[in-house]
Amino acid sequence: MREEPRGWVPVEHRWFGLDRRTFTPALITLVAALVLVYGLPALNAAIPWHNEIRAGDVLDLGDGATAVPPVGWQLEAGTLTGGAGANPTSLQVLLATGGATIELRGAAFDGTARAFLEQVLRSEGDRAPAVSGAFDTLTTDAGLVGVVRSTTGPGGDGVDAAFKMATVAPDTAPALVVRVQASPGQFERHRDEVTALLRGIAPETGR
Amino acid sequence: MTAAKAAQLSAIEESGWGSPFRFVQPHNAAFWVYLVGVGGGALAVLRDFGPSAEFYAPALTGGLLLFGLYLIPWLLLLRHHNRFTSQPAGLLATGFVWGGIAAPFWIALPANGALLEIWAKVGGTSFAADWAAGLTAPVNEEFGKALGLVLLIGLAPRLVRSSYDGFVIGAFTGLGFQVFEDVLYVYNGAAQAYGANQFGTTAQVFLIRGAAGIVSHALFSAIFCAGLMWALGRTPAERSVPRGVLTMLTAMVFHFTWDDLSGLSGGGVLAAVLPFLIAVVELVVLFAVLRRAARQERAWTRDLLGPEVDAGFVDPVLLDAVSGLRKENKAYRKHVHGRRKARHLVEAAHDLAHEIARAGGVDTPRIEHARSEVRRLRGTT
Repeated sequence: MREEPRGWVPVEHRWFGLDRRTFTPALITLVAALVLVYGLPALNAAIPWHNEIRAGDVLDLGDGATAVPPVGWQLEAGTLTGGAGANPTSLQVLLATGGATIELRGAAFDGTARAFLEQVLRSEGDRAPAVSGAFDTLTTDAGLVGVVRSTTGPGGDGVDAAFKMATVAPDTAPALVVRVQASPGQFERHRDEVTALLRGIAPETGR
Repeated sequence: MTAAKAAQLSAIEESGWGSPFRFVQPHNAAFWVYLVGVGGGALAVLRDFGPSAEFYAPALTGGLLLFGLYLIPWLLLLRHHNRFTSQPAGLLATGFVWGGIAAPFWIALPANGALLEIWAKVGGTSFAADWAAGLTAPVNEEFGKALGLVLLIGLAPRLVRSSYDGFVIGAFTGLGFQVFEDVLYVYNGAAQAYGANQFGTTAQVFLIRGAAGIVSHALFSAIFCAGLMWALGRTPAERSVPRGVLTMLTAMVFHFTWDDLSGLSGGGVLAAVLPFLIAVVELVVLFAVLRRAARQERAWTRDLLGPEVDAGFVDPVLLDAVSGLRKENKAYRKHVHGRRKARHLVEAAHDLAHEIARAGGVDTPRIEHARSEVRRLRGTT
């Protein structure tokens, strides 16, 4: 039998210019990829969160540092004390409730809390379409001195706060940034919970 | 026709060696799916990282430079293992690009994000911190990379036949994934510190990921794709679904242990020792899979050169070396009293086998030249 020239598709195998004999590997790949790319996110969207903060729960911020999250919010990332343990320089905590989120992220940073928050804002460039308030000082109940500023924009209102997680030699301690975002008109409803969380942030005992 | 000649023609037909690889095949549905995957991956890179690229340029430049250099010894190592009925560079590059662009950015990024969150929802965030990575990446990433092999089967059905083909293509696909993921980790490391000390975070990621990369995606995918080829059984003599599935699962378990080391070790001394123990086990299994996968290719090489041995163009010991592994090559080096001469003769015999396969078993001027090269290197005319 003569071999067909390169690229020649026998008429009985043609389908809209494609060679039907190549469909099996192509379709297997396409279907498997689509299941992974769209099926898993769809499944994830269909599963609700059931990780509600209960009274007495304490967030692990790494190296013994803690915060008290608002009761009733969903813990979507991060761990509570007594769990797997957290790394203060790669910390990622996300709390969510209807119309508002609180994100806590840790990083290694040499410098003051204010310099850290400025670095955070610089890394975001001009992407945030919001008006920001001036920096203010916030001292937590445990004596951590941080900076805080409020933001407001068409997407809602929020608060950005930064701390160095030590009261002794804070410049070399891990840094923590807390970002609160609320839908328009929702911030006031959560103001007390946010304030309580910020004031409750405590460093490792002895730092 | 002699038995040796019949075996030679059968080896040419079964191995498909010498068939050209053409990437652009508008009639081939696999070609279009490949473009969708790589295009989707490229778009995801631009969408997710483009806006911040300028701010993180020092980290990204450093990462690309360092991991670009890191790639060189890997390519030399994998080139060495692309032997017997070796694959064309274009085909391996096609696998590498799938592994580097489509698998991580089109498939793994959204799939991992979703599955990680599913584990947190189902088991809680503490469970997820310990185990979610290991229960996510081995599924999404191993299959994501292996889909590149499936597409290459569609693009080059004659060339991708044996489990050793799967092993080599898997290694290149995994290497692509590994290097591009490393650059992603460099970006993430810099973003984690909000762009402070970018060169420092880049160097840190390079050292950690570079060392861990020795037993990472290239290894996982080589094992996984060899298993996939055994399960698919594109060479009838090699077909074994149980062996194939077991090999694929082994690669996924290795990936799991690597991603969940902290959960498995529970901290303490074990955390320091376990990575090395796992690495040793992985390397032992890797070479066992390689040896098993090479059997068919070694047999094809012997069959291809069988008539050349009968005709006296190739020595039986040279045939052993060109179709052999380290042990046979070492014996051949002793036989000819020289490492360099042995290497040249083995390469010349490989050239001859390749020319025979390309010509479909009929004599051509190129085959005649390849024979004369073997003769010249042996020092006989």
